[in-house]
Amino acid sequence: MDLCQTRLQTTSALFVLCLVILFPRVGLSQEDATQALRKQLGEIQNQLKNALDRIDQLEKEKSSSSTRLGQVEKSVQAVQSAPSILNPAIGLVLDASFDHLGKAGSTFNFRTAELGLAASIDPYARMYSFITGSNNGVEVEEAAAITTSLPWNLTAKGGRFFADFGRFPKYHPHELPFVNQPLSIQRMVGGESQADGAEVNYLFPTPFFLRATFGGYNKIGADNEQVDNLTPRSGSRFTYLGRLNTYFDLTDNQSIELGTSLAYTPSVRLQGDASGGDRILGGVDLTYRYQPLASTVYQGFTWGSEFYNNSQRFPFDIEVPNEDDPSILETQTVGKRRRSYGGYSYAELKLNKNWATGFLFDYAPIVDNPSQRTLSYSPYVTWYLSEFNRLRFQYSYLKNNFSADKAEKGNQFFVQWTTVIGAHTHGFLTR
Amino acid sequence: MKMKLLRSKNWKVFFISLAMVWLQTGLVFAQQIRAVATWPALADITRQIGKELVNVESLASGVEDAHGVPVKPSFVPRLNRADVLILIGLNDEHSWLPALLEVANNSKILPGRPGYIDCSLGISVLEVPIRMDRAEGDLHPNGNPHYLLDPVRAKIVAQNIANGLTRNFPQHQQAFDKNLKAYVAELDNWIVRWEKAAAPLRGVKFVEYHPEWIYLADRFGMKLVGSVELKPGIEPTPNHIVELVQQIKQEKAQLLIYGAQNPRLPQQIASETGIKVVRLYSGGGSQSETDTYIKWIDYTVRTLLQSVS
Repeated sequence: MDLCQTRLQTTSALFVLCLVILFPRVGLSQEDATQALRKQLGEIQNQLKNALDRIDQLEKEKSSSSTRLGQVEKSVQAVQSAPSILNPAIGLVLDASFDHLGKAGSTFNFRTAELGLAASIDPYARMYSFITGSNNGVEVEEAAAITTSLPWNLTAKGGRFFADFGRFPKYHPHELPFVNQPLSIQRMVGGESQADGAEVNYLFPTPFFLRATFGGYNKIGADNEQVDNLTPRSGSRFTYLGRLNTYFDLTDNQSIELGTSLAYTPSVRLQGDASGGDRILGGVDLTYRYQPLASTVYQGFTWGSEFYNNSQRFPFDIEVPNEDDPSILETQTVGKRRRSYGGYSYAELKLNKNWATGFLFDYAPIVDNPSQRTLSYSPYVTWYLSEFNRLRFQYSYLKNNFSADKAEKGNQFFVQWTTVIGAHTHGFLTR
Repeated sequence: MKMKLLRSKNWKVFFISLAMVWLQTGLVFAQQIRAVATWPALADITRQIGKELVNVESLASGVEDAHGVPVKPSFVPRLNRADVLILIGLNDEHSWLPALLEVANNSKILPGRPGYIDCSLGISVLEVPIRMDRAEGDLHPNGNPHYLLDPVRAKIVAQNIANGLTRNFPQHQQAFDKNLKAYVAELDNWIVRWEKAAAPLRGVKFVEYHPEWIYLADRFGMKLVGSVELKPGIEPTPNHIVELVQQIKQEKAQLLIYGAQNPRLPQQIASETGIKVVRLYSGGGSQSETDTYIKWIDYTVRTLLQSVS
């Protein structure tokens, strides 16, 4: 279009030029006409040059584009013809370590191989699953469906998944910033917050992030053996969860995240305590992050802490005098409420894209005997060879105020190697 | 009794305040199209196309590593309210955006929905990997996503944004078309100007830290000699640095361009080779001189010219 216009202008200019040459005294004075013509010619020259530049540019783009489009087309065809085109995203994580457990000795520890699968189910929901194999056998750690199109800012989730309790209880151990899950989580929550049940999340329409979770489950805790997953139960034997989570940017580089969780089981009946009673497991988590965007996002500092309290009845053996003969003492099992408090705190410094170092302090009571507890101190260093290949070195010192197993006390040393192939993500909750 | 009354009053005040906050957040943005762009340059182009009809926010600030934008929960409410989401695509945002969309509870802007405006549609993509294997580094299966650095390709981006806005708000098509035409004309003028000004860059050999600069190099005729990273996203080994230093000396490379990465290695290489080190961001908007797309490209071209002069 520009080209046609330019040509027309050129022809008109030439025509005017001819007229002026042929009829020099017609119309304008010779001097004025020459100046006007010069000006017009100058403009035309500029326009012509621009148009030619543009043509060169377009031709260059066309030739390079067609070659590249050919390559892209081939690549797309190859992908589209693959028989696995509608298969879910698949990833595998290998988490292995060498553990030196003080006086208990050392071992090569095949911690887990975790197979992850994820895909959309339909326009209304998606599904994901993590299946782990370890020395304890193969287990479906998570397999859950999540809605994607519910109105009123709601999301529903059902199946087996890590309930939204606290921060690190819903992390798969290989995703933690240190080698081992804190003992306080193991003893108080029962390991990862694995739960069979259903959960609803509500995102408040506030200018800042505020999210609530409500859930109902058979139980919470992958290693929680107080309740089993298989026996049908009345409504009072389920565990109900409420959580509120918020986040604030203090500056562009600093943020704070706060969460509070409450898992309530109206009735827990442990063997030997026929009357039973409720169980209240509460938690508060606080995370401060310094991520300097202006330099490199791979540097930064994180301080994270969680505090838990557990209140429930446990059976105890007590000695009572025999009704007939009070001089004889009989053992009787009674239920008694125990309240325990524990938690961890860690600080991590990311030095660059490859290196991070941190320190974890953990206070872990034994829930049925809170006066007994383990303190642990664990400095660690992580070397990220790449995003998918990580080595971690950790020293731990465990101090108990009771007679603990050899493997759970004294000096310990770990070298952990974690690698990932394929697609792998645990999503927003484990960000 | 008084206490009870007080308590009930407190609850009433609390619920009324909550309702007001709720209503307010909905009403403030009710009149304009709420757009969220992943990068400041995209936000600016959207602003040029939508003008007063659009209220656009950028998630990233422009200084971040393209693949290391933190998953900030504060992004979630913005995505939750958005009518449209404008993104680079080609897996550029794969490490952070999907996790945010997971909790944003906004089906309008999910992939494949009308509000999901992928600006890479129709872009002639460079560096499409022939072999998809992580041994080749952190690859983008559909090609290099840093196409915004080419102002000619940015015209396609503007067209994609106009198409996306029209798809969602057809009643404003005329305004979007008019603004698009004006913006493309403005870009055309700048492109001619940049091509003239960037003549000294033609043939300049350069090294990049991460594969971010190929589109700019392609446009202005610069020649890529090597990368600081061993493979895309993989930090270099000492041997790789030794080889790169030799290569820079042999090829007489003049520039080393890096962005959000740590300056330590570029400076070390510069001290060994004398190569000029330039820090430029591939996302735009990182400073006042780069807060619009045109200012960002202009700043980039000027900085490169100053470095080779």
